[in-house]
Amino acid sequence: MATRTETRVSLDGIGRGALAVAFVAMQILAFVAAYTTGRPTWYAFFMVGSTAVTAYVLQGDTFVVAAATLGSVLMIALALPLFLFVARQSPSLIVEKTLDSDVHRMIYLGVYGPLLAALVSLVFGVPLAHLLSEGFVGQPLVESLVDLPLVVPHSVAGILILFGFGKGGAFPNVSILGTMVGMVLAMAFVSAPYAVNAAREAFEAIDDRLEYASRIHGANRWETFRRVTGPLAVRGIVTGGVLAWARAVSEFGAVAVVAYSVSFFYLPAGEKVTAQHAPVFVYNTYLQGGLAESGAVAFLLLAVSGIIFLIIRYLTGDSTTTGGVV
Amino acid sequence: MGLHADVSATFTADGADTFHVDAEFDVERGESLVVLGPSGSGKTLLLETVAGFHSHDGTVTLDGRRVSDSPPEQRDFGFVFQDYALFPHMTVRENADYGSRYHDETRDPIDLLAELGVDDLLDRYPPTLSGGEKQRVALARALAIRPEVMLLDEPLAALDVPTRQDLRDDLADVLTDATAVYVTHNRTTARALADRIAVMNDGRIVQLGTPEEIFERPSSPMVARFTGSNYVDLAETPSLRGALGGTEDDAISIRPEAVELGDGGDVRATVERVVREDATNRLTLSVDGEAIEAFADVSPDIGDEMWLTFPPDRLYYMDGREEAIRA
Repeated sequence: MATRTETRVSLDGIGRGALAVAFVAMQILAFVAAYTTGRPTWYAFFMVGSTAVTAYVLQGDTFVVAAATLGSVLMIALALPLFLFVARQSPSLIVEKTLDSDVHRMIYLGVYGPLLAALVSLVFGVPLAHLLSEGFVGQPLVESLVDLPLVVPHSVAGILILFGFGKGGAFPNVSILGTMVGMVLAMAFVSAPYAVNAAREAFEAIDDRLEYASRIHGANRWETFRRVTGPLAVRGIVTGGVLAWARAVSEFGAVAVVAYSVSFFYLPAGEKVTAQHAPVFVYNTYLQGGLAESGAVAFLLLAVSGIIFLIIRYLTGDSTTTGGVV
Repeated sequence: MGLHADVSATFTADGADTFHVDAEFDVERGESLVVLGPSGSGKTLLLETVAGFHSHDGTVTLDGRRVSDSPPEQRDFGFVFQDYALFPHMTVRENADYGSRYHDETRDPIDLLAELGVDDLLDRYPPTLSGGEKQRVALARALAIRPEVMLLDEPLAALDVPTRQDLRDDLADVLTDATAVYVTHNRTTARALADRIAVMNDGRIVQLGTPEEIFERPSSPMVARFTGSNYVDLAETPSLRGALGGTEDDAISIRPEAVELGDGGDVRATVERVVREDATNRLTLSVDGEAIEAFADVSPDIGDEMWLTFPPDRLYYMDGREEAIRA
């Protein structure tokens, strides 16, 4: 499935890239036309129709046409809200929110907190990933525990954390309710599986014999990790860190339960301030200020998420072309 | 003195039966021991166990020093892998120099690479090298640390034939004075490089001896067949039994190159197959329905009848009854 099928119509002299740009440009024009005439639904029909026609012209195969047509319906569900969201924002409100110091703090906390959580996930997750890649007694149990946060509803994860580490929990002297520690803990709980699994896959992809070769020629296990296993897995580890970071940025449920608002040292102002994690802030703005105001904040947060998304695409895309080798 | 190994280890893999390796052998200083066996006989696992890659029972000693309690990095071994196992993120120079910092006495990796004819690749990365080049770099990496014992796991198996022959010559030079254990399934390589051969099957060493002993006097049908000797059960071949003597309980083995073809001899055989090999023909002949292989310069037709002679000094009666039969 990885090989590209030849198109029915010769693309010589046009190229796939140019065709894709033309298709996207056509979609944008159609959307702008539909939106400005107040008929966004028309665009939905246009997208399905244009996809079906393009598929037919290029492939002439009813199976491909059917798959592309049905697939485009899902694409509408994903893309139309995004397009309408961007189109319906008020530029003046976005500018106002861009200059709002509360929003600055939100974005600062929304990047900084998840970075700490990703770091925690990596520091403790990479050694675990290495062990899991080698295998040990009781491994299935540990694997289940690692993957548990992926299936637990995140508000439930927040409750679990409060029971475990909150009042009357494992560390009575450490306050986690409404603190930075609590927020990072909640984020790490839900994002650590991404760091562990990505790092583990990277370690598993390394041939055992490279480790043997390192050991037999004199390097002990630490040296082998430093010179061979670590460098070969570094892209997977970084990818895991970024995935964990992205997951923590988008985390709402667990953070809302454990640390609805937190006080932290805000470097640009040089003082301690109180703010909310970005998704919580957006939700709060929606409840208090309505759709328009929360939309402007959401727009800014979307831009941050977009940048993270591009970083992930860059990291994971590259790793497939180099076979995971740095 | 030298290497002594007496190890047993059990291996389990998902979806496969457990596999036991249980073997004992000695390698004298300066001697090359070739472990010869079919795929799946456990020879690679044996070598890796001796190297310390797998936990095991028993002992490995080097010049009387017990190394089996030490991790691989403290055993003073060099290892050459079938699939090279070069570090893909390091240049050729860095690969060859990998172990230097962990050893006091080393050889200059650049000199070694030059001796092996790959010193023009110093700044290249392994994925850009050919198989033969990779294996030469891997050999340099192992030799650079001046190991007490070289362990080689089918280093030629992944190479094409001309490259294999070149590298085999280089290996023969390298191993002249080295203490080495060399694992292979290729009997030609084994014969070319071995001072002694250990034939392995199903996790155990089934015969250990000089190449001549292994090839001329196999201890079992398995060894005979795997080393390319003819193995003939005399119970199945009355005409051969009549010509050579022996009973229905006996079997003989003889190298195909020792079987003589002519107008007269011990027994008549029918040509069943003729395969042209480099400078000669490999004939498969039938005696009472049993196949016997021989080499010949002539190229007979299928179905031709020929006389076979089995020179007594090359004929080996198996099951330990040869003295009685000859008497």
